[in-house]
Amino acid sequence: MSIRVTNLAFAFPKFSLRVKELAFESAKVTAIVGPNGAGKTTFLKCLGAVLPTPKGSLFIDGRDLASLKSRERARLVCYVPQEHDTTFNYTVSDFVLMGRAAYISPFALPSQEDTRAAAEALDFVGLTGYADRAISEISSGERRLVLIARALAQQSDILLMDEPTTFLDPKHETEVLQLVRKLAVEKMKTILVTLHSLEMAVQHSDQMVFMKGGEVVAHGKSADVFQESLLESVYDMKMKIIDWEGRKIVLR
Amino acid sequence: MSGQRNSKARGLAIFVLILPLFLFLVSLSIGSYGISPQGLFKTVLSVVSPASHPDVPAAYRDILLRIRLPRVLLAMAVGAALSVSGASLQALFKNPLVNEYILGISSGAAFGAALSIVFLGRAFPPQVGGFVFAVVAVGAVLLISGKAETHFISLLLTGIIVTAFFSALLSLVEFFASPYVLQALFFWLMGSLSLASWKDLYISLPLVAVGLVMLYLLRWRLNVLSMSDEEARSVGVNVRREKMLVIAATTLITAAATAIVGIIGWLGFIVPHLVRMMFGADNRRVVPLSAAMGASIMMIADDIIRGLSSFEIPIGIFTSLVGIPIFLVLLKKTKKVWL
Repeated sequence: MSIRVTNLAFAFPKFSLRVKELAFESAKVTAIVGPNGAGKTTFLKCLGAVLPTPKGSLFIDGRDLASLKSRERARLVCYVPQEHDTTFNYTVSDFVLMGRAAYISPFALPSQEDTRAAAEALDFVGLTGYADRAISEISSGERRLVLIARALAQQSDILLMDEPTTFLDPKHETEVLQLVRKLAVEKMKTILVTLHSLEMAVQHSDQMVFMKGGEVVAHGKSADVFQESLLESVYDMKMKIIDWEGRKIVLR
Repeated sequence: MSGQRNSKARGLAIFVLILPLFLFLVSLSIGSYGISPQGLFKTVLSVVSPASHPDVPAAYRDILLRIRLPRVLLAMAVGAALSVSGASLQALFKNPLVNEYILGISSGAAFGAALSIVFLGRAFPPQVGGFVFAVVAVGAVLLISGKAETHFISLLLTGIIVTAFFSALLSLVEFFASPYVLQALFFWLMGSLSLASWKDLYISLPLVAVGLVMLYLLRWRLNVLSMSDEEARSVGVNVRREKMLVIAATTLITAAATAIVGIIGWLGFIVPHLVRMMFGADNRRVVPLSAAMGASIMMIADDIIRGLSSFEIPIGIFTSLVGIPIFLVLLKKTKKVWL
């Protein structure tokens, strides 16, 4: 499933997002990088229609996202937040089941099919044994995986992941990004992920989008676009890229 | 171990769900004029077929049909209504401290019902005025707190202001009331089931039933709505529309209950917490179990008031005086997080 962005504009009182033309393909991982306040999260939220989407600027397989109903849209595209702020201590399985809301009428309960989809999603992220655990009793790394499982239960083809690795240790960071890759390859998902780690972004993505001041300053295949001069202009600091055993390390 | 715990919880849940039926029968026989279970059974049969039990005194039938039955039904309805309303609002506003009182619904309903009683008399259903002003009050709270409605401090402050405003209006109504009406109004405002009549029930019971059925059907959706609005929107919920549905249903049942029995505080706050303590946060369980537990607590409270003292303490005062210490003890004893 492909996404096309055309003249997207969204404004907060002290910040505005402007994206002219961009396209994202199916079964590919796109890393969106840029300094804090560049507009990465706002861009993802617009794509996920979490923020009001202007008409005629976002198209999924040619369908205008703004013209779709909530449930219809959620079956196509899913925004995965950085963290889930828990007020009530649901079990992991109850939480993942909430990803099925787009398939369930407001006055109905989840069906067996919904429960099965949630269990499969939990199995895919390797947390089947956690189904009856309370959300508050699992680690933040496991919570990220549970958020991804909820997105999987939603069965939308496009996943928009907002900093899924923030505050994770290197091991969990790598595990989450490997899972993201697996989702693109095995489930043919179109994945956009915002990241702060440049090394991880270039290593785990097919293409990259660089943002600064609410605008896209560069985009393209990760291997092509990941250049020192671009990094320096985006982050306003001296940076050096070193190749080490086929991987790129950024010195700063 | 987990299976054993689950079957224990299931057994407890069945007990909580059945308890109101048992208490309903017990409550019908308790009061200043005691009716034995056998007498109660015979009376019920004599109501159905008067010729079959000519030995049943007419006074039994009068007490049962005209006094106890409406009163016990009202206690059940009010307990269930306020508890489910509290559970639903806590989920909707993602905050365990929210209840219908904090959102101004209770004070709006109380003002509307009092206005109706004083200026239109008891012949006009106070539920109408109660519902209209409950909608005005909750509408004002949501409108003033605006987009910050999920920000609890803003919601709380607005709720306090709106509640204070409607309390002042209520005082104004009391000021204009005649001494006779004022006395009844004062007793009613403290929360009382003693004025229960079939006329009130004919109006309030269907309203409470409609609201409860709506919230029962929406109970899984309450789980989804208890996430942040952004998350709920992302999984495909029309947040604004579904929030309005829940607010409309909770306002309806609170207004219908408050218009007859006055303000009964704390029940809508305490009962959902007790249920979550015992059965977890899933609203598929919290909503029906809150209804059952709220109904049971109200019946028990009313039975104690009717059975133990020669004079009637308003139930609103009684539930607060007894309920809060019990809740605090449970809070201290329960180490685990239940929210």
